[in-house]
Amino acid sequence: MAALTDNPAVSADAVESIVSAYREPAWLADERRAALRAYSDQPFPTEKTEEWRYTQLKRFSFSGLELAKAPKDESVPERIRMRIADSDAEGVIVHKGNKVVMHQATIKEAGVVFTDLRTALRDHEALVRAHLYDVVNARQTKYTALNSALWENGTFVYVPRDVEVELPLGAFTTADSGGIGLGRTLIVVEVNARLTFIDEYTSEPFAERLFFDAATEIVLKDGAKLRYVSLQNWSRNVAHINKLRAHLGRDARLESVTVSLGADAARAEVESRLEGPGSESEMLGLYFADEGQHFNQFTLQHHATPRGFSDVLFKGAVRDASQAVYSGMIIVDPHAQKTDAYQTNRNLLLDEVAEVVSIPQLEIAANDVKCSHGSTTGPVPEDQRFYLMSRGLRPEVAEHVLVTGFLYEVMSRVTLPKVAEYVERVVQAKLGVPGVKEKL
Amino acid sequence: MSDKQLEIRGLRARIVGGEEILKGVDLVVPRGEVHALMGPNGSGKSTLAKVIAGDPQYEITAGDIVLEGQSILEMEPDERAREGLYLAFQYPVEVPGVSIANFLRLALNARREEGDEIGVMEFYKKLQRAVKELNWDDSIIERNLHEGFSGGEKKRSEILQLLVLEPRYAILDETDSGLDVDALKVVSQGVNAARGPNFGALVITHYQRLLNHIVPDRVHVMVNGRIVREGPKELAMELDQKGYEWIREAVGA
Repeated sequence: MAALTDNPAVSADAVESIVSAYREPAWLADERRAALRAYSDQPFPTEKTEEWRYTQLKRFSFSGLELAKAPKDESVPERIRMRIADSDAEGVIVHKGNKVVMHQATIKEAGVVFTDLRTALRDHEALVRAHLYDVVNARQTKYTALNSALWENGTFVYVPRDVEVELPLGAFTTADSGGIGLGRTLIVVEVNARLTFIDEYTSEPFAERLFFDAATEIVLKDGAKLRYVSLQNWSRNVAHINKLRAHLGRDARLESVTVSLGADAARAEVESRLEGPGSESEMLGLYFADEGQHFNQFTLQHHATPRGFSDVLFKGAVRDASQAVYSGMIIVDPHAQKTDAYQTNRNLLLDEVAEVVSIPQLEIAANDVKCSHGSTTGPVPEDQRFYLMSRGLRPEVAEHVLVTGFLYEVMSRVTLPKVAEYVERVVQAKLGVPGVKEKL
Repeated sequence: MSDKQLEIRGLRARIVGGEEILKGVDLVVPRGEVHALMGPNGSGKSTLAKVIAGDPQYEITAGDIVLEGQSILEMEPDERAREGLYLAFQYPVEVPGVSIANFLRLALNARREEGDEIGVMEFYKKLQRAVKELNWDDSIIERNLHEGFSGGEKKRSEILQLLVLEPRYAILDETDSGLDVDALKVVSQGVNAARGPNFGALVITHYQRLLNHIVPDRVHVMVNGRIVREGPKELAMELDQKGYEWIREAVGA
């Protein structure tokens, strides 16, 4: 496999040109420069790098690509207009290339900030400065360093203390041209506040290759509650990589679901650090790889406090010459007693050329904890297939019902019906059985 | 000889790569009749049921299964079902994420031409009629297929499906096992409702008690992979009184 190589487009000049184009404050310029140094100091991952084993690295290469700039066309794609019309979101931002092509919000709750990161830096600099790079930063991976040095825009959400935002807010990220795309979401939910946020990545197919590197930073203060959805349905000319990480304060609760359906190759790193006693993290994942897609997911449940609860359930189906890799880690620090941590990965192999690698791991340094992990990978149960066919269902319809049923365990735990319906439709389209409408 | 029958001819079968279980079964169920298949545990009754339905874990080494003049041996399980065969499973599987209603709509539409799917009203009328026949609550149709069902509920679901799908021939594989008396009555009532000139059934049971409710036209007795005796409904009673040892001795099996 070809090693990943460095890219001349990732340079000090590129950093300085962003700093000067947006007249960024000195603290941010310094952060970017430090991030670029961290980027340069880190080697690219290889097949021998533990966290990247089994990853088809060349499919995440960005060598030879320029930084993505303005879109060819600033219109909002029809598919996103339809998604917005079908949602009950209170606020929506659409990013296309480095432009914000739509921003509409009618948030009735007072004090909520929901805007793009550029505007937030102008209007709420202190808030951004207090949190940016706290959770996802250049010290983590080559890709988070790349993002930290060169992001141009993103989404910022701030929910003040005790405020409960009733309806979801959402950001759509799309593109119509290739290169290196960088997205960043910073969500800060203050003490006892509540929010539902949906990050969706989608595009119509276009000719060039896009490498998209996303960073999602989530700060949940004491008692904060967040439902977060990451929905990746890029066109097949895109490679997508996303570090989605949350820090949870005392009694904070995160419910996240990470859905991977599109792109040629996608890697999602979904991480929670439980920092306050009593915090709870539920991380769900759903994926369906077909036609040679490569999906790669890493989860981390880091218990850095006593009495935390965390649960991971990632389920996916794989068919054709596609691969899914799941690697999960539970870390329990020595003083994190009374931790409850669970991790489950289940895979459905739909044919003999599809591949799955599943590596659940535990690192437990405390002695009074409840932890379990489990992983299964297998074909469609023959007895189920026979049962459905014995009722007259054609093999492809039976498969459709079984995939739907398999993924249902995850979808039934997603408390956002609009999101569940949409995921169901995309899965059905991928399964390609017309006229079949199951509840997913 | 009438073509309107399900005929098993000299059927030999085994689990793929395993020992022979069916050792030459001959059996005819004419359309319009309900026959009972009785026999001790391990005699091959359930194997016969699954082989007729096309369970891929079995292979047929000799003989034929002929449905109204047409051999179905080369047919996949779904084709057999669309030809009018139905197996009520001894152990129905659970399929999460698909409601009974959606599943039955798919199954009915599989029997129809594309573009000629069953209308919503027609479908629900049919479904509700079947639910009522089984003294069941309407909410059952929205539950996921057998998810969290008791053993008895699963058996009832098998009969519900039979009533909705209206097969020409049904094999009921120990539908009575695990049922209390009330459930047995309800299930039998469902099967009796399906009886008529266009319905043939082979009711597999270990005990005579089911046959008090579903009175068979003929009784076949299977021992060690063969039909060893055939007779009128009184044969079931005789078996019940004398036990399977009697038949083993009588046929020298």
